[in-house]
Amino acid sequence: MCGLCGLLGVVHWTETSAHPDAFTGDARRTIRAERSHRAAIVNAALAPLRMKVKDFQASSYILTSATGRSEIVDDIQAVWGAVERLRGAPVDPLDPDWLAALPGQGGKP
Amino acid sequence: MIPVNIITGFLGSGKTTLLREILSRPEFSDTAVIVNEFGEVGLDHILLEEVEEGVLLMDSGCLCCTIRSDLKDTLRDLHDRAARGDIPRFRRVVVETTGLADPAPIVSTIAAEPVIRNHYRIGNIICTVEAVAGAQTLAGQPEAVKQASVADRILITKCDLSDAPEIAALEARLHALNPVAAVVRSEGRDFDADFLFAEDLGDAERRAAEVARWLESAARAPAHDHLHDSDTNSFVIVYPQPIDWTAFGVWLTALLHVHGAHVLRVKGILNVQDSDTPVVIHGVQHVVHPPLHLHRWPDEDRTSRIIFITRGIGEGAIRHSLTTFLAAVAPAGGGEAAA
Repeated sequence: MCGLCGLLGVVHWTETSAHPDAFTGDARRTIRAERSHRAAIVNAALAPLRMKVKDFQASSYILTSATGRSEIVDDIQAVWGAVERLRGAPVDPLDPDWLAALPGQGGKP
Repeated sequence: MIPVNIITGFLGSGKTTLLREILSRPEFSDTAVIVNEFGEVGLDHILLEEVEEGVLLMDSGCLCCTIRSDLKDTLRDLHDRAARGDIPRFRRVVVETTGLADPAPIVSTIAAEPVIRNHYRIGNIICTVEAVAGAQTLAGQPEAVKQASVADRILITKCDLSDAPEIAALEARLHALNPVAAVVRSEGRDFDADFLFAEDLGDAERRAAEVARWLESAARAPAHDHLHDSDTNSFVIVYPQPIDWTAFGVWLTALLHVHGAHVLRVKGILNVQDSDTPVVIHGVQHVVHPPLHLHRWPDEDRTSRIIFITRGIGEGAIRHSLTTFLAAVAPAGGGEAAA
């Protein structure tokens, strides 16, 4: 993986720590806390697919499928591409079955 | 950061007339204009000299160059030449698209290329629509609908050649198609350059006014969300509770991964748990620009309001997905989104 983008300061729009001007007040998380929170949310989204993601040294995410295949990616946008590659189909947020299978949603509609 | 404005519009819609005006007006003296071909613009009467190979200096001080191998190379090359002092420094870039072109890939180029995004940012996208044939073009040409849908400013040209009722009907059609774009009229030379090109979200002083204009304009949009002659929808999702920004980011990135080609624009003001002040988002298809800060809310309303312009995706599907996802993964901020 090329590290040049990191040197050039490429950051993803979702990262509050990279946009301190946009988020004011004391509620903003530290970089590690934000990444941990994001990983927990993605894991809730991936639970119906039996896939998991974990933060890797506050610089990448490691995605693991139910069969143990894994991929390392740079940011949250890249997670969805990796999910599609590992399972052969994307996660569609408009899919009612997937939405119904999210935590606390009570299964299929 | 140098703003890059994109001029789009269907064949014969008046892009060239607008470009000629830009190249000759003194308020664009610090602008570099990138055109497809010098010949089509007709520069003879306003040309001062060729300062570098392929870069012309106008009487007004404005630079004009053609696209080289691709836009990435052209933007990098312009920046390098200005930094070396080979050409005058410029503070704005205007890019002309061809009449059939989709402007979204230009946005993607500037946002995705690491070197370019460190020097340039996307400014307003200006779409020209001809008053006489504009309605017919929108009805028959999906490219024209796409161009108008992603625009920040829509300039109705050749208004002197059309009747007032026809222009009013076209304005209503464009407003229904893209409720957050400002629609203005032109009779050739009388356009407000500052409003079209410079008044944008990148200007912190005028950001609040621009967001207030979106919200006011979206509120005036027709209640129906489906247009008869295209499958383009525009609608506002209102979310009453403070939003978990991280969860919202996870949801929107997932949505754009699968449906980015059909989410033509997203713009919004968010009340996020992670900030004391509102956060502004805006994007074009797969590209979401960095979130922006607003000093204060534009009105008394403290709800998050997100405006979508989509192709083939209904309001109900987006609202149900956002509401369900946030309630499932970040229940503290869960709430029922409303239209």
